[in-house]
Amino acid sequence: MTVSLETPRTSLLRKAALFVALAVLGGLAGYGISTLMGDVRTVWQDELAVLMAVMTISTGLISAFVVATRPSTVPRGCGVLQVIVMLLAGTLFLLPMFGTAVATPEVIFGAVVVLLVLQSVANLMLWRAADEMLRRVMSETSAMAFWALQLCLFVYAAAERLGLVDTVSGWGLMGIMMGVYFIASIIAAARRGLH
Amino acid sequence: MNNRLKVLRAERNWSQADLADQLGVSRQTVNALETGRYDPSLPLAFRIAKVFGQPIESIFTED
Repeated sequence: MTVSLETPRTSLLRKAALFVALAVLGGLAGYGISTLMGDVRTVWQDELAVLMAVMTISTGLISAFVVATRPSTVPRGCGVLQVIVMLLAGTLFLLPMFGTAVATPEVIFGAVVVLLVLQSVANLMLWRAADEMLRRVMSETSAMAFWALQLCLFVYAAAERLGLVDTVSGWGLMGIMMGVYFIASIIAAARRGLH
Repeated sequence: MNNRLKVLRAERNWSQADLADQLGVSRQTVNALETGRYDPSLPLAFRIAKVFGQPIESIFTED
């Protein structure tokens, strides 16, 4: 009996189409950000937060595409939850900056708290629905991010206490934390061949 | 850890998705197992052994 040991590979055409789709998405995201930020006077903390929001929302949209076209790539029940978690994370980053254009800060803060609770529930459901490898990736991401962040936080705190650097706002630290978490998740996923 | 998952799966003409369904994991997890990027927990190793009807030690071997 002849057996095939080949692992299914993505065709070149499909890769090219995916590349073009991502390039178009990147272009649209860039145009959207520049339009959004065009008339807004921002500090680096806000720019970083917008970047994190765009990254999480883009990842959520790409995940939605993958779930719709290749549902077997994620454990059953996880796809939709992953999309919800990413989209809510992006929204949570945008609300404190742009929400006050449509409502009072108190209302926006209430919305942030409600969305944060919803996102936490979705995260918990995602953990419960995940298979063991996805849980391992999530655990490794958290461990790597915690290790890197506590190291950086101590170095920064020491430098700040010594008066060597300016104080960074909580909003800025949040953006940095999300960035580190993103990098950690990419490393953890890549180690298991997830992309 | 080395394993014979890819060979055993191919002998049965199963796709990665077929095997993933039987094990209750994602296709990416099966792919990671086959490529040696992920070593399964003991419960999953037992499930794999049951699906293929072989003892664990005939599927998984030390490096």
